Amino acid sequence: MTAVVSAPAEAVAEETTAAAETWRHFRSNPLGIGALVVMVGMALIAVAAPWIADYPKGFGTDVLVPPSSEHWFGTDTLGREVFAEVVWGTRVSMVVAFFASALAIAIGVLVGILGAYFRRLDGILGMVVDLSLTLPVLPLMILVAALAGPSLKTIVLVIALFSWPEVARVVRSQALTVSKLSFVEAAKVLGGTHRWIIRKHLLPAVTPVITVSVVLTASRAVLSEAGLSFLGLGDPDSWSWGRILYEAQQSGAMARAWWTTFFPSVAILLLVVSATLIAVAYNDARNPRSRED
Amino acid sequence: MPPIVAFVGRRFARGGLTLWFAITVTFLLLRLLPGDPVTALASTNMDEATRQDLLDRYGLNDSFITQYVKYFGQLLQGNLGISFSQKQPVTEVLMARLPWTLLLTGTALLLTVAVGVPLGVLAATRAKSFVDRAVQVGGVVGQSLFVPSVGIFLLYVFGLQLGWLPIGGAVDENVYGMDWYASVAAHLVLPCISLTLISLGSYVLTLRATLIDSLGEDYCELARAKGLPQRTVVWKHALRNALLPTTTLLGLQLGFLVGGAVLTETIFAYPGVGRAIYDSVNRLDFPVLQGAFIMLAGTVVLANLATDLAYGALDPRVRES
Repeated sequence: MTAVVSAPAEAVAEETTAAAETWRHFRSNPLGIGALVVMVGMALIAVAAPWIADYPKGFGTDVLVPPSSEHWFGTDTLGREVFAEVVWGTRVSMVVAFFASALAIAIGVLVGILGAYFRRLDGILGMVVDLSLTLPVLPLMILVAALAGPSLKTIVLVIALFSWPEVARVVRSQALTVSKLSFVEAAKVLGGTHRWIIRKHLLPAVTPVITVSVVLTASRAVLSEAGLSFLGLGDPDSWSWGRILYEAQQSGAMARAWWTTFFPSVAILLLVVSATLIAVAYNDARNPRSRED
Repeated sequence: MPPIVAFVGRRFARGGLTLWFAITVTFLLLRLLPGDPVTALASTNMDEATRQDLLDRYGLNDSFITQYVKYFGQLLQGNLGISFSQKQPVTEVLMARLPWTLLLTGTALLLTVAVGVPLGVLAATRAKSFVDRAVQVGGVVGQSLFVPSVGIFLLYVFGLQLGWLPIGGAVDENVYGMDWYASVAAHLVLPCISLTLISLGSYVLTLRATLIDSLGEDYCELARAKGLPQRTVVWKHALRNALLPTTTLLGLQLGFLVGGAVLTETIFAYPGVGRAIYDSVNRLDFPVLQGAFIMLAGTVVLANLATDLAYGALDPRVRES
């Protein structure tokens, strides 16, 4: 009997060392660490936006000035600082990505786990996921965003509504392999409730997959937000990277002033690339097979 | 029933199911969203009688089920409604534009495969070399590109600064014969490169991974042991098997590529369905937005069906599974 009681404690100890081991390997990957630094830096910029630059609004006298020591990223057609727009855009893009991916992950994990655990639900849930993944998502997002009217809330909901199937697919396939293992079978025989088995056995097993999913879904949400804003479906009252590009296109500045589109583009690329690299480095660090070489 | 008939039947059923799903999702979204289409259509200061009249005319006072059946019936007849802003049937408006979108995405798809296969083979056969690392980094960056950024960059450099290529539209006016084809090709270059760049990354990464796996399989070992040159082993044995999952991925990516086409067409003022979507967003022309989605979904379903059937013909494993 003592063995049974001590088992969970051992499992916990093993888990913490596994996490420490993963972190140790992650640290030794220069690309992963570099990406993490960029990501944290951007999050800090997002938080500290009001102290870094004044909110870009109104009109300035210096119109379409190229980057200089006075105007770091130059100015746009209305004389607003592109630097300030990019800094404040960091905030909006990251907030949208955070909430949209949190919501998408919540729905995706729920659907994925329910599908893998309750085999009877799996047919219908799996079909919905499969079918949604085939469809062209952006045109559908555009339709819904246009109908619901432009606001940050709309953007977050629309992105989450059409991003969860991807999460569900990944979580389901991982949960499926675990739910067939004998320890889940054993937990059922012991009389564990569905809730308890899912919480204690399935969720911990899919946590690594979810971690990767969070990063990737958030980076894709940044791209979706930028795409919708670029088409004029963003919140007209808040600056996002996509809106800077949208305004540059609308005013024709993109043809004359490269800096109006260059800096927001670099910001998007930096964030998405570092998210992808973090996910890749995390996967490598967790996988003992790839650690060896 | 012979397996091939069952296979074809299953694929058609799946295509039909996807399309039904797309239409039903659209219908539900349009009805469940806050604010009915009439409010979206007309201004807010419309009196109640006009409102009721409009609701009746669009059948919005019918029961939910009746509306659904009617909606479906109209779609089956190819009727996507009337465009608010152009007072023309949506089907007509979009059908005139669909060929351009097909040309753009089709060319981008071919280019992705034409460039992606050699790159993937190069990386997989020299795994862990400098070339391989470069392809991997390129793949990750490629996956992370924002289409408008790429488009604007290409347009600025090659269209505006160097003046090598046209910056917008699909064809010059008043050109005929061979000149017409040349003009179409010249207008296609920049949008097509933008679209190819964003789909190339994941294609190459997947091909590389599956190719490395199949090169380690027994049949490749045997082919090498027989004394076949490495080139034959890679191109005739390993690649053939690695292409199946890669092509399936390409099919899944079609939806993503079509989304990319919407953004690309917007930047280059390319007169396809995507540009129609952008114009309709500005005019709040909902019938066109809805029609465009259904039409693009239909295109994706048909393209997927075609690749599935082609693969079933080539690969017996697909037919049986």
